[in-house]
Amino acid sequence: MGLFQKLAFFLGIRRKEVNVLVIGLNNSGKSTIINHFKDEEEKVAEIVPTVGFNVEKFQNQNLSFTAFDMSGHGRYRDLWEHYYKDCHGIIFVIDSSDRLRLVVVKDELDLLLQHPDICNRKIPILFFGNKMDCKDALSSVKIAAGLGLDKIMDKPWHISASNALTGDGLQEGVEWLTQQIRETIVTRN
Amino acid sequence: MVVGVACGSDLLIYKNNKPFYKFSVPSLPILALEQDAWQKLSEPDTDSSKIIENLKNTPFGLLSPRSQTLVNLPQEDIKEFIEKYSSIHLTKSSPITCMTSLKRNSEDPLAISCPVLATEQGQVYVLDPQSFTILHEAHISNAKATPSIIRASGILDIEFRIIVACREMFITLLRRGWLEGKIIIQTVLPIVDMILMPGDNFICAATTDKMLHCYTKRGNKLWSVKMNQPITCLCLIPLKHLSIALVAVGMQGGAIHLYHSRHSVDFITAPDTPSAIVFGQLGQEEHVMVIITTSGTMNFKILKRTADFNLNRDNSISPAAQSKPLPLPKRSKLFLEQSMRERQHAVDMHQSFQQDLVRLRLIAARTVVQVNSNQAAAGNEKEQLKLSAQVLGLGPMFTLILTLENMNSDKALIELSAVFHCKPSIYKLSSYISAIPLIPPGLAYKIETKVKECLNSENSTEEGAAISTTQIIRVFIVRLGQVQPVLAATINMPPTDPLAYTV
Ligand SMILES: Nc1nc2c(ncn2[C@@H]2O[C@H](COP(=O)(O)OP(=O)(O)OP(=O)(O)O)[C@@H](O)[C@H]2O)c(=O)[nH]1
Ligand SMILES: [Mg+2]
Repeated sequence: MGLFQKLAFFLGIRRKEVNVLVIGLNNSGKSTIINHFKDEEEKVAEIVPTVGFNVEKFQNQNLSFTAFDMSGHGRYRDLWEHYYKDCHGIIFVIDSSDRLRLVVVKDELDLLLQHPDICNRKIPILFFGNKMDCKDALSSVKIAAGLGLDKIMDKPWHISASNALTGDGLQEGVEWLTQQIRETIVTRN
Repeated sequence: MVVGVACGSDLLIYKNNKPFYKFSVPSLPILALEQDAWQKLSEPDTDSSKIIENLKNTPFGLLSPRSQTLVNLPQEDIKEFIEKYSSIHLTKSSPITCMTSLKRNSEDPLAISCPVLATEQGQVYVLDPQSFTILHEAHISNAKATPSIIRASGILDIEFRIIVACREMFITLLRRGWLEGKIIIQTVLPIVDMILMPGDNFICAATTDKMLHCYTKRGNKLWSVKMNQPITCLCLIPLKHLSIALVAVGMQGGAIHLYHSRHSVDFITAPDTPSAIVFGQLGQEEHVMVIITTSGTMNFKILKRTADFNLNRDNSISPAAQSKPLPLPKRSKLFLEQSMRERQHAVDMHQSFQQDLVRLRLIAARTVVQVNSNQAAAGNEKEQLKLSAQVLGLGPMFTLILTLENMNSDKALIELSAVFHCKPSIYKLSSYISAIPLIPPGLAYKIETKVKECLNSENSTEEGAAISTTQIIRVFIVRLGQVQPVLAATINMPPTDPLAYTV
């Protein structure tokens, strides 16, 4: 590690509070994913549909995350945009077995990307193709094609297939996000 | 969730997609004559032909389906048919033509609801959803009525309204406690589909003439709109988050228009003519429209979360003044008196008006003639020739200059000559006839003629009164070999100044 990077790493640690916004349609598994990252004693046994939003904290690679677990229900989706300004990264959860609503996912994603608080920022977006264990789940390649993710040129993005019940694929995705957020903090300093 | 399927006169109930119960509509009373006939038929060695003849003489519509079949059977099949059926109990049931559901004791979307059936005979049954006994039974109308569409609103235990559209082109209403429905709407043409609007219970009905009508819950018509295609189906689209309910109008060709009251707010298209549209929750999504088309395709449409149908803008477009009456002034006393007079003297008023009209026309015609004859320059439309005259001098010697103008754009005027005509006792002219050379198109030709007034003192004093009529020179433009002059004009000569003459 060069001197410059060491310094950056140091700065990164100093600024260890990062905000991530967890969004996606209702029933996609957002709360289940966040629950997986929480400490053993804080985990909840049963997950119910979120009302409004919940604020959760967890650690990953020396970075402490404040996750805004938004409700994905239609009538609460208006809330999402109020948190765009202050977040350092976005986790977008997709139920890969809900083929009917992929068009709705695309609609919400387009609204997100066009939002003035998002469109000019190089904010990293992590997509989870969740519920990959389901029989009729779409592969992450198909989801990426269906949502037109290849057209996102100005933001780092990544998609991983996941199973929030077992935790498969979650760690990999969040590591990528941590890395991205570190890099943006380094370049900003 | 339970699914009910009406099949003939039975209602089949499926729970979790498995057959669960079968409800049969009660049998209708059977004619004594028919009962008797079958009783006899079941006995051995009876003469069936005579009994069948008897059945044929009773009105066909009153017979049970079994007898209806029997009277139409060919001779050779009759025996077998009687053997097969005569021992089975005779029933006459009426097929279910339409059905709906009605909430039992709560408005909650997931609360228990009761099946409501209507039969071809015009009978309506409300069933208990658990025991499948009849909770309420009514006849939809005292007139002959065949239900085709049934809709219900309200709560069975509190207050409800059942609206039935019939093939006889009317809509009847049934309410809690009523045993017979009341006709509230009569249409001119058959009803294609009908829906009940939530809240105000307005009734929207589509007829075969491309019209969508809206009525109040009492049956007063509020408005009608004409579509450009025949309507095939209607569907209610309640949008709670916008506090509105739209009506989806499916039309031939595949267009589906969304109406908010009488205004079209949006439209979508299906691959071909929709035969049925349903709107509601499907899986996790609340606002899904399922369209089934006549060719058998099934289409799913999800409403955009951000759709607001521009309703605010629409309100400003529709003129507010339309709803309130025009600001007409009150009928004044003067107006009433005038209308009274008009009624009493209608013939006189008409005649005097006609008289005035004729007079006006006469004045107009006179004025036209006068204007025409006053012209300083005369013209001939057909020949496109224009003549103007100028008189120079104070007298008794004058110079008369005639200008002939060819108005044609492409034709030259030829073979013309000018003829002067005057009273020789008054004027002497240098020439009385002058040939006119060819006048090229667009150009003019001038003829100069000297005029001398023959003044003798006696004449001037004696005939002073006649001067005005005789001091004229007439000019005719004539064409060679043509009797009628091409153009004629009268030139009024100025009087000779007596002072100038005496000098
Ligand atoms: N099979 C399977 N089920 C999952 C998975 N992830 C979540 N679920 C289930 O999906 C359901 C919804 O999960 P939630 O975490 O409540 O979803 P959410 O996105 O938070 O929903 P809202 O809070 O309503 O926006 C729960 O019953 C979960 O058990 C997965 O990876 N596989
Ligand atoms: Mg949740």
